[in-house]
Amino acid sequence: MNIIPIILADKVLKGTEKLDGTQITAMTIIGLSVVFFALLILVIFLYTSGSFFKAAKPGQKQAEKPKAAAPAAKPAPKAAPAAKPAPAAPAPAEDDSEVIAVIMAAISAMGAADGKQYRIKSVRPVARGGSGRSAWAQAGIADLTRPF
Amino acid sequence: MQGVIDFFTNTLGGLWSDSGLHALFGEGGWKNLIMILVSFVFMYLAIAKGFEPLLLLPISFGMLLTNLPMAGLYHPDLWVLVDGHVNYGEVLKEGGLLDILYLGVKLQIYPPLIFLGIGCMTDFSPLIANPKSFLLGAAAQGGIFFTFVVAGLLGFTAAEAGSIAIIGGADGPTAIYVSTRLLTGGGAITTGNIALAAYTYMALVPIIQPPIMKALTTKKERAVKMEQLRTVSKTEKIIFPIAVTIIVSLLVPSAAPLVGMLMFGNLLKESGVAARLIDTAQNALMNIITIFLGVSVGATTKADQIINLKFGGVMLLGVIAFSLGTACGLLFGKIMYKVTGGKVNPLIGSAGVSAVPMAARISQKVGAETDPTNFLLMHAMGPNVAGVIGSAVAAGVLLSVIG
Repeated sequence: MNIIPIILADKVLKGTEKLDGTQITAMTIIGLSVVFFALLILVIFLYTSGSFFKAAKPGQKQAEKPKAAAPAAKPAPKAAPAAKPAPAAPAPAEDDSEVIAVIMAAISAMGAADGKQYRIKSVRPVARGGSGRSAWAQAGIADLTRPF
Repeated sequence: MQGVIDFFTNTLGGLWSDSGLHALFGEGGWKNLIMILVSFVFMYLAIAKGFEPLLLLPISFGMLLTNLPMAGLYHPDLWVLVDGHVNYGEVLKEGGLLDILYLGVKLQIYPPLIFLGIGCMTDFSPLIANPKSFLLGAAAQGGIFFTFVVAGLLGFTAAEAGSIAIIGGADGPTAIYVSTRLLTGGGAITTGNIALAAYTYMALVPIIQPPIMKALTTKKERAVKMEQLRTVSKTEKIIFPIAVTIIVSLLVPSAAPLVGMLMFGNLLKESGVAARLIDTAQNALMNIITIFLGVSVGATTKADQIINLKFGGVMLLGVIAFSLGTACGLLFGKIMYKVTGGKVNPLIGSAGVSAVPMAARISQKVGAETDPTNFLLMHAMGPNVAGVIGSAVAAGVLLSVIG
């Protein structure tokens, strides 16, 4: 199903000949149309297959949800002697205990210099800006893309 | 005694007349000298400036070797078509080392094998997650076809115009693949000219693209933060190369060698069961082919083919092709920005010209200049890899129509 000969007779332009205005115009329109047509078919295919896979996913998610909820109930691991299990009020939806432990460790390390002890009372998410990513994700991406 | 002196002088005279130095300073030798100096410039750019060194260095060294008079490494006259065919028997019998290596270019073996390695290294997830990217990859091929118009109007033949236009695809192997098929040899333009222009401009993408990107977009458009891409499942990644191969090969069979090998490489990668093959394809095989391809394409840059007005035209049209491709991608990106109500950053459109991953990096860089917290890299990779497929399809169209 070669679509080029359908539109034009095969090898219509002789390689050694100079081009006239009609040939140039026809070649440009046909060329761009074929490229768009071919890639448009791929777009349609990907959207169709993508919607099939997306439709297949929700069931999977539901099955995974209880699993994800379980570790959230665990107390935050002690990262430093001063660290208490985070009260996390308001409680974040996802499991942030590791993040809280890391924050506590960082604060404890800072406090060690002046001999003070700190404890986390609450952790609240800040506005994520327009990208929809968390600060951790932003920092990670910044780190990965900096060389570029 | 006189006989000995005569023998001595005759031998020395013979040696001198057979030497490259005699040819270099003889009639027309200055052209070779200039080409040797040009090869030094390209070596400098590759080594000191890091301009596409993996290809520019072998190409420039091939250029040096072929322009050393009397070395006989490459013979352009062997590649001139006789009754529509190359006399391969003659090439094997009379050819030098670079003639033999050039067989892989002329028989279109190297570019598809390079695509195999590229396929092993390419992650199509951004494209699968955001299929609209394909349209940006298609739009950027406008550079190819609009350059075809300009080249046609300037009086180039159909084969020359097609070979020059494909530079706009910003894909070295594709440019070599098309020009080798279209250019019959003996003309003023060779595959070497096209490859030289293509790789030079690909190296200059960071200089060519940003001014066009800034000129064609507003600050507000450049600041658009795009939604995070969805996660793509392994099954989708496996189906993708198979589907693309079938669809593209059925629509444009001439693109099958390039797209087929690109997708074969990608299937090897995504299957997860062919680690050894991937390792060979993306390392040893790719490196060997790159050396053969670069040095033999460089060998086609004989002085006569470079020091002429037509090569100046190729270089000029090459930069026009790149610029038009960038502009077409951006303008289509602006259309998508409007249609989606500002959800698409037009900057990712410029990545549709291929030049993987450089063009995507430029989108990221220009976007980050407007807003340092904007990360467009993964979004730009979609059009970028779509551009590879798009330029292969465009190449297929050119090969189907130009005989």
